[in-house]
Amino acid sequence: MTRTRHLLDLDGADRSTIERFVARAAEFKRGVPSAARLLHGRIVVGMFFEASTRTALSFAAAAFRLGAHWLDFKTESSSLGKGESLADTMRTVRAIGADAVVVRHSESGFAHALAPHFGGSIINAGDGCHAHPTQGLLDAFTLQEEFATLDGRRLTISGDIKHSRVARSSARASSLLGAHVTLCAPPSLLPRDRPAWGFAAASSDLDAELPSSDALMLLRVQKERIDAAGSPPSSDLASGFGLDARRYALLPAHAIIMHPGPVNRGVEIAQAFVTDPRSRIERQVENGTFTRMAVLEACIGGPS
Amino acid sequence: MKRAVSRDFVGARVVDPTLDLDAIRTIVVRNGVIAALRDDAPVAADPEVERVDCAGMVLCPGFIDPHVHLREPGDAHKETLASGLAAAAAGGFTAVAAMPNTRPAIDDAASIRRIARDAAAAGRVRTYVIGAVTRGRDGTTIAELRSMASAGAVAFSDDGSSTASLKALYNAALSIADLPQPFLSHCEDRSFGDGLMHDGAVADLLGVTASPSIAETAIAARDALVARATGKAWHLCHVSAAETIDVIRWAQGHGVRLTAEVTPHHLLCTDQALLGYDARMRVNPPLRSESDAAAMRRAVADGIITIFASDHAPHTTEEKEPPLSHACAGFSGLETAIGATFHALPDVALAVMVANFSTNVAALLGVAGGTLKVGSPADITGLYLDRPWTVEPHRFKSLGRVTPFAGMKFAVQPALAVVGGEIVV
Repeated sequence: MTRTRHLLDLDGADRSTIERFVARAAEFKRGVPSAARLLHGRIVVGMFFEASTRTALSFAAAAFRLGAHWLDFKTESSSLGKGESLADTMRTVRAIGADAVVVRHSESGFAHALAPHFGGSIINAGDGCHAHPTQGLLDAFTLQEEFATLDGRRLTISGDIKHSRVARSSARASSLLGAHVTLCAPPSLLPRDRPAWGFAAASSDLDAELPSSDALMLLRVQKERIDAAGSPPSSDLASGFGLDARRYALLPAHAIIMHPGPVNRGVEIAQAFVTDPRSRIERQVENGTFTRMAVLEACIGGPS
Repeated sequence: MKRAVSRDFVGARVVDPTLDLDAIRTIVVRNGVIAALRDDAPVAADPEVERVDCAGMVLCPGFIDPHVHLREPGDAHKETLASGLAAAAAGGFTAVAAMPNTRPAIDDAASIRRIARDAAAAGRVRTYVIGAVTRGRDGTTIAELRSMASAGAVAFSDDGSSTASLKALYNAALSIADLPQPFLSHCEDRSFGDGLMHDGAVADLLGVTASPSIAETAIAARDALVARATGKAWHLCHVSAAETIDVIRWAQGHGVRLTAEVTPHHLLCTDQALLGYDARMRVNPPLRSESDAAAMRRAVADGIITIFASDHAPHTTEEKEPPLSHACAGFSGLETAIGATFHALPDVALAVMVANFSTNVAALLGVAGGTLKVGSPADITGLYLDRPWTVEPHRFKSLGRVTPFAGMKFAVQPALAVVGGEIVV
């Protein structure tokens, strides 16, 4: 697989890049002999400035399966809070021997800010409302696994699009693989350009989109992050852009349901559909580890 | 009294909109004052008079920047009075008006006097001092405007933010409705104060918390209404949104005494500069879309915006580093203002450019200058209209080295700054 230095976002990615990541993730899922030696002795540092259970675990598991060591950078007690500059911190982390830093932060562009100061690889595990590239890749992988090809398939992403890094990355990755992506949100939470972000359709009428959707991706209602003067209340998002029994019936029989997790049961998705046979929520988590193995390998695999 | 300053500035094209003049003239300066504009060069060399050869230059009434941040007191690591005034001179300005959002704010008569005195000691560029509208710029407590006016304040502004309380702003304006000092409004509704860039398609892509045009336009409308209700002379600082032009047009059409300024960066730069999260490009108000920048250029051409300002806001290079939320807002602007503004507006008549840099600013602030009329102080700015130069921030006199124009090439170059007959650059 081609080496790549950082994975900050998918904004400049092309179709073949997405295809390579997805193909390699699929290989890891089928089983790669001696995968556990691919990153033998490498050190991956997790810097999670924002709480994360699933993504951090998934990255740690991916590192473990490739033979790399996972170290946690204690962000809450770090010297960054004591006035040490980003540049100094990143030089220190490099000097300690880290090959890659997996970073999550509440500010858009944070991973980009680290990249110039770190001699190794920066892998973005979520920056503010901007990007979550491994989520985008694992969603594309999950969709491709389902439909063999995304060409001509219709993916509908519903919820608070504006504040969703998952929406930005998943829409882009799936679109690059040929899917027709429609973003569903109240007008204030949709991008203003058409096509949205240069490639996606946009709608505020989820009911109208459902009958033609091959996949419906629901976004988590970020109750903890909502700015009460900036967004409608979560009850509006749930009723207008969540999945209930009536909307479920509007989906075609073959359509699948996705969600990046963690799920607010009964908010953006009714309890019954989380474990529905058409739900791929657990599959997404499973595929996440294989996708992150592909990403880690691409960034720090091969001769050092 | 200092040594009398007597010089003949010979051979230049002299452009003065107040005299409707655009011709080769000798500017005769005696005792720091314009004594004559002659269409011949004096021959009999007076040993007391210095002859300054200005062939190839355009000489104009001295340029006045109505909006600079000199950072003292409180932030001398960003800029000092001395470095800021050296930057002003290097940039071709003969006078500046210093905004009061220092630490602490310039909000009483003693501070006005102290800054004026310290600035006079720190540099030869004239420094006018603007007082805060509210105490400590708190947005609610009216400052001692009348005392500051007596101490020499040329205008009042809570620049850095909008005066939060309409009640305070309205009553502040009424309380000195009998005085000439104008109010200068920074237009930005504070509920959008968390915005790091313009709320447009680029912010949509980047997922950055953003401030929309209406955050500016709504306050511009509010303050235009206060100007109309109080009859006070009013001025909108650093206009950046196309919709704000409609507000200005409305106010001017209804007899409100309202003027507006635009910065070089809002004429030339757009939010595209933030792609890649370039924190250096953070500024308030934010760089907006190309259609906004085009609307600013049109508003100058249409005579709706009649004043140029640099909004010189120096910070250290470290303070402009990412992430965006940590980066200070603002650019070092004094040394690029002339080059960049002329670059942005190649089709605007030279006399209009000079009026916007000089005459109209003097009129706004009620200060001397803005003209080369006989008897005026000899404040003169000299320009080369076609001497291409490259912006090299490491050569700035300003301590602030961050500019959106680094590496750009401009045709118009400041050549001379004369204050009271003294050549300061």
